[in-house]
Amino acid sequence: MFRRGWRAAAVAVLVFAMLRDGAAHEAAAPGYGPLPYAAPEPGSYALPLLGPAADGPVLTDGGAATRLHAAFGDRLVVLSFIYTHCEDANGCPLANHVLREAARRVAADPALAGAVRFVSLSFDPGRDTPAVLAPFAESLRPPGTEWTFYTGLDATTLAPLLAAYGQHLSTLSDGSIAHALRVYLVDRERRIRNIYSAAYLHADTLLADLRTLLTDAPEDSAPTGPGPALGAGDDKHGYAGPDYRTHSQAIASRRGAALDLLARLQVPQLGLPPLRAPLPGAAQIALGRRLFYDRRLSLNDTLSCAMCHVPEQGFTSNETSTPVGIEGRNVRRNAPTILNVGLLDRLFHDARERSLDQQIWGPLLATNEMGNPAIGVVLDKLSALPDYTAEFEAAFPGRGLGVETLGAALAAYERTLVAGGSAFDRWHYAHDAQAMSEAAQRGFALFTGKAGCAGCHTIGADSALFSDQALHNTGLGYARAMAEAPAEREVLLAPGTRLAVEAHTPPPDGNDLGRYEITQDPADRWRYRTPPLRNVALTAPYMHDGSLPDLDAVIAYYDAGGVPNEGLDARIRPLGLTAGERADLRAFLESLTGGDVEALVRDAFAAPIGDR
Amino acid sequence: MNPKHFATLVALAVPLTVPLFSGPATADETCLSPYMAKIVGQEDFAYIWTLGRKGIGDEQDKLVTVDVNPGSPQFGKVVHSVSVGGRNEAHHSDFTDDRHYLWAATLDTSKIFVFDVHSDPGHPKLTKTIDDFVKKTGGVVGPHSTYALPGRMLITGLSNNRDHGGRTALVEYTNDGRYVATHWVPTDDDLRGAVKGGKYADGYSYDVRALPRVNALVSSSFTGWNNYMMDLGKLMADGEAMKRFGNTVVVWDLHTLKPKKVLDVPGAPLEVRCAWGANHDYCFTTTALTSKIWLIRRTPDGDWQAKDVADIGDASKVPLPVDISITADDTRLWVNTWNDGTARLFDITNPDAPKQIYSEKIGAQTNMLAQSWDGKRMYVASSLLSNWDKKDAGGGGDLEYFKGYTWDGTALKPTFSIDFLAEKLGLPHQIRLGARALYAGTAPEAAVATAP
Repeated sequence: MFRRGWRAAAVAVLVFAMLRDGAAHEAAAPGYGPLPYAAPEPGSYALPLLGPAADGPVLTDGGAATRLHAAFGDRLVVLSFIYTHCEDANGCPLANHVLREAARRVAADPALAGAVRFVSLSFDPGRDTPAVLAPFAESLRPPGTEWTFYTGLDATTLAPLLAAYGQHLSTLSDGSIAHALRVYLVDRERRIRNIYSAAYLHADTLLADLRTLLTDAPEDSAPTGPGPALGAGDDKHGYAGPDYRTHSQAIASRRGAALDLLARLQVPQLGLPPLRAPLPGAAQIALGRRLFYDRRLSLNDTLSCAMCHVPEQGFTSNETSTPVGIEGRNVRRNAPTILNVGLLDRLFHDARERSLDQQIWGPLLATNEMGNPAIGVVLDKLSALPDYTAEFEAAFPGRGLGVETLGAALAAYERTLVAGGSAFDRWHYAHDAQAMSEAAQRGFALFTGKAGCAGCHTIGADSALFSDQALHNTGLGYARAMAEAPAEREVLLAPGTRLAVEAHTPPPDGNDLGRYEITQDPADRWRYRTPPLRNVALTAPYMHDGSLPDLDAVIAYYDAGGVPNEGLDARIRPLGLTAGERADLRAFLESLTGGDVEALVRDAFAAPIGDR
Repeated sequence: MNPKHFATLVALAVPLTVPLFSGPATADETCLSPYMAKIVGQEDFAYIWTLGRKGIGDEQDKLVTVDVNPGSPQFGKVVHSVSVGGRNEAHHSDFTDDRHYLWAATLDTSKIFVFDVHSDPGHPKLTKTIDDFVKKTGGVVGPHSTYALPGRMLITGLSNNRDHGGRTALVEYTNDGRYVATHWVPTDDDLRGAVKGGKYADGYSYDVRALPRVNALVSSSFTGWNNYMMDLGKLMADGEAMKRFGNTVVVWDLHTLKPKKVLDVPGAPLEVRCAWGANHDYCFTTTALTSKIWLIRRTPDGDWQAKDVADIGDASKVPLPVDISITADDTRLWVNTWNDGTARLFDITNPDAPKQIYSEKIGAQTNMLAQSWDGKRMYVASSLLSNWDKKDAGGGGDLEYFKGYTWDGTALKPTFSIDFLAEKLGLPHQIRLGARALYAGTAPEAAVATAP
């Protein structure tokens, strides 16, 4: 029974291509035939470093003790592991066949001759004594070639060497040795540059690789210059149409240059109110910048602040309506931009927090955001990471890492992300008549007049945040909670391909009731803080739930008067805008992008990303 | 068969031979790398890479081993389970080319768990955890396919650490777990020598398969961390997120790992399966969102083309084709559609015109499948992604399961079924098969003795 089980299983283990017409046949490995494709052009590709080529004691076929690296000399080396009585055509004989062919061609090539050595090492020192190996080598080695043969001192001393080269051996009942054929290409620095198995070993590719190693390895291609700093690198504009074409940017083109953020912060920006918090120190800013991009700040090392507040995406996320938290957990509200956040007195969509220094602990500890179970867990983790303890001490002398200083460091960086000096600012506050387009100027008139936007998105005499920081019911939150959910939803399956599908049940997070969730006052149902509009062209999608994809949709929503409900802000009413007026309003909103936001984003690109 | 014959066969098996020049008798044991020994008879074990779920058992990811040898008294039973710590979004797994280690990758934390499956095939042992993949690779997130090349592993990423979107890379590691190189998928501003064959070059990836006889590697494209970690209902309602799915297949030079051509394959092409026949220079993929079978074919002049050759089910109902498996003789392609829990068999004798010839409802949802070398046995697991999986089975069981079937050419017949929720295991995903005979020379007597 036991034996039968063995036999049944044994039949099972065959190399594929061997079972044909009910019988086992073995296919010849490609190394025996012509290469069925053109070998790569030598020098047109890189051979990556695959680790050090191990050294160990061996015997020459003359019986002299030496070491494998001595056998390598100063040559490029093709190293095979064999045993002389191996009969499997696709095992050692294949390696011998290919090395023999390659050695001939190397000897005949002036560029390679004298630069390459072939080395074969027997892993069966018990039977492959020098006396056995020498005639075997003689029978294989073509005249005039550098091909040397070695054997182990004994199985014990050979074992570590074989293990280092990944040679798993097992001796079978008939004395044959099962092993995975491996041939190694080793450079002059004794580093493995390629590994060949039976299915892969061929003289043509081996020669191409040898010639490649003799050339200067080409650098992998890189984008010619830094890509744009504003907008998602994975641009999807026009995706809904059938003529969509990608305009994707390589991750490597996301290149930047560090700014002196403190110096920049000390220069007043046109149109912005002064920073009310004390000016942070340079060390605090640097520390906060490092923390902001450190994914290890989340429980499972996957989320930094910047994974939801992506610099080139307006320090929010253009790619999702609402962010995705730890383990994919649902976050109900759109990630607000961090640009100019240091100028705000009320934070979060429901204005539940007053201090930037305190605010950071919200996402750090939220079970559906960064998922840390306790303040102590975060502090302990940071203190165990290299450098942070010293950096905290330098930034906060005598205080070091703590619950307050962590918040202060992150707030220090965030306060540097001020972005004023927009076209609007130059036109409105610096009285540069040419700074803003005529369409935008008409839009400003609508914004402050017929459309009434400035009633909440306030503009001061000397500066403007475009927010009264008060809470208002625009009807959007009401509609999301109270309106009948559609049975079907149209989704975009591919560029230009739409399909109406059954609407899935939303995540079981309950409804979003806005400010009411903080005050429990029914009057606060569906009230949200007025979002500042600076840089609004960079921060799509819009509204507290990210449900409106672009500025046109937002303008259309307000033009229609929102969604009526008993708490609707009195200023929300049908506006009766013409198409031209809506376009002018959009032009005005697009004029609010800060004059040097790009420099801030490039500074962010230069920041290190913390990964485990 | 005498013991000597057995030994010879095993010896033949270990140094891999190649199907490339040897006629049509080739097959995929669950679509493994051509650089790997295959089990062509009865497999002993199925290794199921399983996602932890809150409220189920120990709530963490685990490698579950099921005895699938019908002659065993443990047939159809869980015989081993290794919990690895954390819910990491366990997804795909595959062997090193010597089939000694199983690399089990995760899409959320980007950890790769390496299991020794050769020392005792019935009791895989966690021997190494690669937990610095993102840092080592220069920001690749979400290791997906772990695909054996000679002496090394090729790993497809799904995302990156800058924006958690879909731009990503293929990554090489040595078999012993050392980082080697990162090969970014071509984007418009850096095609890296590739030809943009159509309108798209999105830089995304998903699965990868090699076609050594034409020195080609074919990679597909899915979506980034933001989307694959997102609740499916939320995702379908998020117009911006729905724009972030892959629409490309990239053909690479296998030897140099340089991209050659970017092909338009809109609608999230997922698994790639290449034909084995000596003159069959093509691969198949299926698009998850647009429900089509695509043929990726090398033309006689050496160029590459992509062509949609068949619809899968009723596209208007988004059946969501997931795993696919090509049969030994390149005449059949199994396609599992997750949303309707159905296994579909296509006749691909004419690769330009696949025809569905059979279907069977497997469960409330269905995903990964693995067929034996001879196509007579098939195994199916249910889970797709932790936040995409269905939450109820519509009144019945069959929600999260691992099932065995036989296939006689006309019908799938169930042989066992394990309810992974009732067994407190989690959400079963990738299936890989093991056999003691693969390691016959080293198999401990005790392990062999457990066989019938």
